[in-house]
Amino acid sequence: MNIKIPGQTPGDTAMTIAGLGPHGERAVPADQLQLTETNAAEVRARRFSVAVILHTTTSDWSKQELAGIAATLGLYSAALVEVVDCNFDVNLQVAALERLAREPVDAVISIPIGNARVAEAHRALTQSGRKLVLLDNAPTGLLPGTDYASVVSTDNFGLGQSCAAMLSAHIPQGGAAGILGYGIDFFATHEREIAFRKWMGTNRPDVTLVRERFADLDGAGPAALTMVEKTPGLSGIFAVWDVPAMKAVRVLAQHGIDLPITTVDLGNDVALDMARHGMIKGVGAQLPHDQGSAAARVTLAALLGLPVPPWVALAGREVTPSDVIEAYQVIWHLPAPKAIIDSVRAATAAQDAVGED
Amino acid sequence: MAEEKTTLRSVGRPRSVDAAQASLALLLNLVRTGAATTRQELERRSELGRAVVADRLATMIELGLLKEGELGQATGGRAPRQMRFRQDAGSLLVSAIDQSSIALGIADLNGQLLVEHHEAAQLDAGPEAILDRLATIFDWLLRETEKPAPWGIGLALPGPIEKPAADFETVPVLQTIQSWQGFPFLERLSMRFGVPIFARSGVQTMTMGEAKAGGGRGLSDIIYVKLGRSISAGLISEGRLHRGAQGAAGMIGHSRVGDELLEAVAGADAIAREGMAAAEDGRSPYLTQTLARQGELSVVDIGHAAQLGDLFCVELLGRCGRLVGEALAPLTNLVNPSLIVIGGVVAESGGDSLLAGIREAVYRQSHPMVSRDLQIVRSQMGASSGLVGAAQVVVEELFAPATLQGWIGLGSPLRHPEFQKRLERMMASVEAKAAPPAGRVAP
Repeated sequence: MNIKIPGQTPGDTAMTIAGLGPHGERAVPADQLQLTETNAAEVRARRFSVAVILHTTTSDWSKQELAGIAATLGLYSAALVEVVDCNFDVNLQVAALERLAREPVDAVISIPIGNARVAEAHRALTQSGRKLVLLDNAPTGLLPGTDYASVVSTDNFGLGQSCAAMLSAHIPQGGAAGILGYGIDFFATHEREIAFRKWMGTNRPDVTLVRERFADLDGAGPAALTMVEKTPGLSGIFAVWDVPAMKAVRVLAQHGIDLPITTVDLGNDVALDMARHGMIKGVGAQLPHDQGSAAARVTLAALLGLPVPPWVALAGREVTPSDVIEAYQVIWHLPAPKAIIDSVRAATAAQDAVGED
Repeated sequence: MAEEKTTLRSVGRPRSVDAAQASLALLLNLVRTGAATTRQELERRSELGRAVVADRLATMIELGLLKEGELGQATGGRAPRQMRFRQDAGSLLVSAIDQSSIALGIADLNGQLLVEHHEAAQLDAGPEAILDRLATIFDWLLRETEKPAPWGIGLALPGPIEKPAADFETVPVLQTIQSWQGFPFLERLSMRFGVPIFARSGVQTMTMGEAKAGGGRGLSDIIYVKLGRSISAGLISEGRLHRGAQGAAGMIGHSRVGDELLEAVAGADAIAREGMAAAEDGRSPYLTQTLARQGELSVVDIGHAAQLGDLFCVELLGRCGRLVGEALAPLTNLVNPSLIVIGGVVAESGGDSLLAGIREAVYRQSHPMVSRDLQIVRSQMGASSGLVGAAQVVVEELFAPATLQGWIGLGSPLRHPEFQKRLERMMASVEAKAAPPAGRVAP
């Protein structure tokens, strides 16, 4: 089924910011944060060096986030001197923070993995005199100004709501929807799940919600299968990000199950599945390139000693199978891969043929 | 009369073993607060004998309240084993409800916040909707983050909260939320989780939060000012929160500025209204653009405009700051704080011009001794201060020596005889209200 929404133009699908910051702050939209000409000249003259610590550098999200950071820092003559890949390992992150606190970098942009276990190392980095800008999340107990400069994040609450709204169209009255949740204490995925549940509770109180968790990515497929087997009449699944969503798609397909799924982030696999009119019916996408760019601007502003807002947020973008190519261009700052374009064309042609019969 | 009250308050508290309960409570609080952690220190501080201390510690280890920790500093001879409080024996649910948002969190028994969540919410949605939302998120957080079962709830509400007449008694009415009057909000939340509930005004919990984990850490005299739609202040003097006779201390928004109330001229609504006027008549080019783009304006936009150098907004916030400062100055002279923390949505977004206005007025009108070392800073904790403070409220209530003696021998405040009775009575009264009136049902 090809869902066409009348009157909706691609590019007009940016959402408003629904969520509050880690301390309840109201968001300052990232596009409002720009350096003035005077600030820019000073930044260029000072030739700052910045390091980045990511949970992984292999995902599509991370690559684009880094591209945004690197391009923007470069624009202001700041050097990106190191990129640390923690491989989802808390101990690696702590070690990297401790090392960078002794090395000649002016600032660090970091995505805290987990909560309490990495809080102290982040605090110590700031105490060493380096500026710290966080992506997505601030560990509980850390304070803006004292322990870090700012958190730059996509509006995860809005993404969760958006995925609920898109999945709702596929759930019949009185049906059941599943949540494929992340079993690790992580702010961004928590916010998405809370928002998904809230939207359903408010707008679809008739829908029964069930949930399975996975602690590592390989567990995501089996968890989805368990959920389907345990819940007769399950009509759709929300997965908290794209990689586990695709693990679920593969395992379900192996068992001959076809279920509507919505998720967060337009990874390549998810985009291709949508283009083929597969199980993925909708995506609430972050804009990692733009987020990286915003994080770089906030970092430079903090290095100049300018006041920076504690919570800088970017609205996500809804993607449906009908605008996957255009969305890809906006999100990834790249043309969509040929495989996706060919699939969209093939699917459209097939549908036109059906329509003509 | 006084005699009768005392008897009432001690109902359910074991009397024959009072001494044992008292020594248990004393030792637990010494360990918990870190005042004494080795057996030797505990014997000295408690003035109890070695055998008694050993017996009480063994009891509390068995009850799961204490554990043996690492070795301490040796003072000649064997290094002593340190006692540790089991802050994970239970958890505390905390929430701060505000006009336009709710915050929820889980803290350990030391009041340390472990996880928190904030979301937009409208009080107009009514008590049932807010209650339901709190229960849903608490359930979810407890399950997902696998925290220990709760021992108590700390709640921060907008507006003053009356002091309860007795332990574990919930306050009857929520004075400030008119539409909530008569709704058993606290009772329902308490029953839902089967734990005691303790409520304070939002500004009082935020003051406690700032004193515990924010700018006021380690200070004994601070004033916290919340600048939102309403304006109020909290005071910690010589280490204790000042609540006042009715629990309504700190309503500085009700001081007069000319013919108006302070909060009517310097509150978030007033600021947003002035910003709107300036956007419409072009006095602030930035706000005109923002209004055109968003279709609405909030105090956050005005603060952001001021930070970007919009002259109108800089002056507007500076003027609000001076008005607030003038209301604060007499208070400052009265209590001589070492720190004033400015929080709330106006402060969060208000930037430096607001702070400069407050400083100008306070420093100008304070005695030199009072202002000599006085610092005036912006809160960094945001709404988290309300959660940390609410946790602190529960910790102080549950471990207050008189209350602690009532439950320590039983291992958990949930087994406190007085709380159990209170819970039964709450259930009975809520059920009675819900049940159809007996004997008057039509045949």
